[in-house]
Amino acid sequence: MASTNCWRCLARPSQRLLLAPASMTAASSNPTSAAFSTSTQLAARSTSGDTGMSRHIRTGKRLILGKKKRQGDKHKTPGPGERKAFRKRIQLSNDNALVVPGLAELTAQNVVDPGAVGQVVGIPVDVVDQLRTCEAFKSTQNWGLFRSPHMLIRKETVDMAQQLTDAVAKKETLRMVVTGDRGSGKSILGLQALATGFLNKWVVINIPEAQELTTAATEYSTVHNSDMFSQPVYIVKLMQAIHKANGPILSQCRVELDHMQLPISVTRNMSLAALINATKEPEFAWPVFQAFWKELLRPGRPPIMFALDGLAHIMRVSDYRSPAFELIHSHDLGLVRMFAEALGGKTPFPNGAAVLAVCSRGNAPILPSMDKALEQAAAIQAGAKAEEVPLRDAFYRKYDERVFEALRGVRVLDVRGVTKHEARSLMEYWAASGVLRLRVDEKNVSDRWTLAGGGVLAEMERVSLYDIRATV
Amino acid sequence: MSAKINPWGSVRSLAIRTRPTRSCPGRPGALTAAAAVARRGLTHDTTTRPPSDDASIPPPSTAEYEAKPLEIFAPNFLNAEALAALEQAAAGQDMYGEDGEGLKFGMPERPGKHEQLQDRYHPVIEQVTKLLMRDGKLSKAQRHMSLILNFLRTSPAPKVSPLRPLLPGSPPASHLPLNPLLYLTLAIDSVAPLVRVKNMKGMAGGGQALELPEPLAARARRRIAVMWILDVVNRKKSTGSGRAQFATRFGQEIVAVVEGRSSVWDKRQMIHKLGTGARANLSHPAVSGRRK
Repeated sequence: MASTNCWRCLARPSQRLLLAPASMTAASSNPTSAAFSTSTQLAARSTSGDTGMSRHIRTGKRLILGKKKRQGDKHKTPGPGERKAFRKRIQLSNDNALVVPGLAELTAQNVVDPGAVGQVVGIPVDVVDQLRTCEAFKSTQNWGLFRSPHMLIRKETVDMAQQLTDAVAKKETLRMVVTGDRGSGKSILGLQALATGFLNKWVVINIPEAQELTTAATEYSTVHNSDMFSQPVYIVKLMQAIHKANGPILSQCRVELDHMQLPISVTRNMSLAALINATKEPEFAWPVFQAFWKELLRPGRPPIMFALDGLAHIMRVSDYRSPAFELIHSHDLGLVRMFAEALGGKTPFPNGAAVLAVCSRGNAPILPSMDKALEQAAAIQAGAKAEEVPLRDAFYRKYDERVFEALRGVRVLDVRGVTKHEARSLMEYWAASGVLRLRVDEKNVSDRWTLAGGGVLAEMERVSLYDIRATV
Repeated sequence: MSAKINPWGSVRSLAIRTRPTRSCPGRPGALTAAAAVARRGLTHDTTTRPPSDDASIPPPSTAEYEAKPLEIFAPNFLNAEALAALEQAAAGQDMYGEDGEGLKFGMPERPGKHEQLQDRYHPVIEQVTKLLMRDGKLSKAQRHMSLILNFLRTSPAPKVSPLRPLLPGSPPASHLPLNPLLYLTLAIDSVAPLVRVKNMKGMAGGGQALELPEPLAARARRRIAVMWILDVVNRKKSTGSGRAQFATRFGQEIVAVVEGRSSVWDKRQMIHKLGTGARANLSHPAVSGRRK
């Protein structure tokens, strides 16, 4: 539709003619077609067949009896899973953000280097792919605001990475629980641990959300001749993620045991990558995964990193029901029991391993058993004597002994806020990316650091990246 | 007895000693500098004695008159502070002494005389946030606002249509995403109507309403534009879920406005047409007050 009025002002065409006659003369002096024509309507009427005489002329005023028909929704309804996909979508780059030059990349060396504390480093592209495969990035994190994924190496990162690599180098098992306040960066620390594992060429197995296992959201079935239950669909997904993320390492290892009981044929010259990729059938998933786990625990294999996010969800009674309609404890689920035994130190790892459990504070049930077990573990780690370790509440009956067993002797890493030095380098990165429009000086850093409750990272992001104050 | 002078509000008190002082232990330099200020001469001989008939008291001899020494400020800390402030002012420095002595980051800025709590946000941000608010949940609306700004940050630079020009002097489209506030303001201000049409009941005669165009102030223009955008957004079906879905719909509509795809432009055009037509009514006798 041609506009008669000017878009910006209220001038009419006649006035525009007066204002700028030169531009309009060609069109106005030599009209090539009529401004108004009924020929198309006449043509349409003649081709449609009827003469137009018998049609009701006052169509708009026809009497309508009965109920009004509701018009169907013209919009396309979202397909199944589309809305959830929108919610869970993970975007790792923003083409509008500026490239920050001069930042180093994460390597196996600088993640254990105390001199690198306070640096913002980029994640290498192949590690990004591996982390994405094992779902280490979460949709609540702000990766999508920046040009490419970068992360801050903080003191806890170096501390944790050193403990991991030292234990693995000595072929020991490091069992660690990461706790801390809400939004203090526990999941990012878990991501950094996974990245350390990938950079050091360990076999990395990650359970990204523990609550997917215990809230009765995935299928489960009984395991033959055992009291356990397996979650076949989830395990198929997990095996594919393991295969995709660790393919090059697993393809160098050969199968060493005879797996006669497996429903698929496994030969000695198969690689472990082929073994884990052998089946996509849910009913074969749990036996194959168990065989893969047994193979991994043979001497001479690469070290293992087994990580889980949302520890509290697997330390309680799950929402699943047994055939007798009794609630199933989470540790009776096959995969969860595998993790709980590894965390509790019951599984021997001859090649060295790192078992990492990350707590979540925003979404976690309140579990007195887990709190007490972690409290005791933290006290023992701090060097408390046997009589100084905090005792259980004598009047509380519902302590769960299996939780205490699963958390016996773990190391506890308590994550707090970052220091001002780390906060400054992070804010400099944000400002250099063009997302934070603020002069980064000591005053502003201190301002945001204080507003964030002493450098709690999520709060710093909230007061810096989600700020609606005018800073332009 | 000491008198107070108070030249400025912040120079809290300046006490002047009228009796001669014994000694001034504190700041000799300050006192000599202040002597010029103290030389008023009014407090010297303001009292008059009635002449007494009693001869036993000799009349005061004029020959022995001694000029009283200059009055000097009492040596207390208040005066010392005030004098220091005056000296600073004389030296052309800030009299209030707010250079932040003892403070790590200096004094915070004083709020201006007319500043209010509401001035914390940019006017556009504040207005749009309050228009997004439902059921009085301002915090949720602010969350929406920040998600909208982040949507604009992450969406690709718009392709501005030449058919629907934006405000003159607008920056190139590639500059917009990293300045989401400007992006939002530009979209709203560009699509905001210039006039509204007021219906004067029965003034056209015969019970008919007389339509009169009326210019709008900036805030009202923005309000109308945001309400139009919100109409479109609320009619649009959501294809997502979660907390970002409203912000995404709103942000998409803002992008559509800047790219000239939005149906809000048609509303603006309709209002402008109506207003242009109704301009004729401004010379109506009922409005202008003239007779035919």
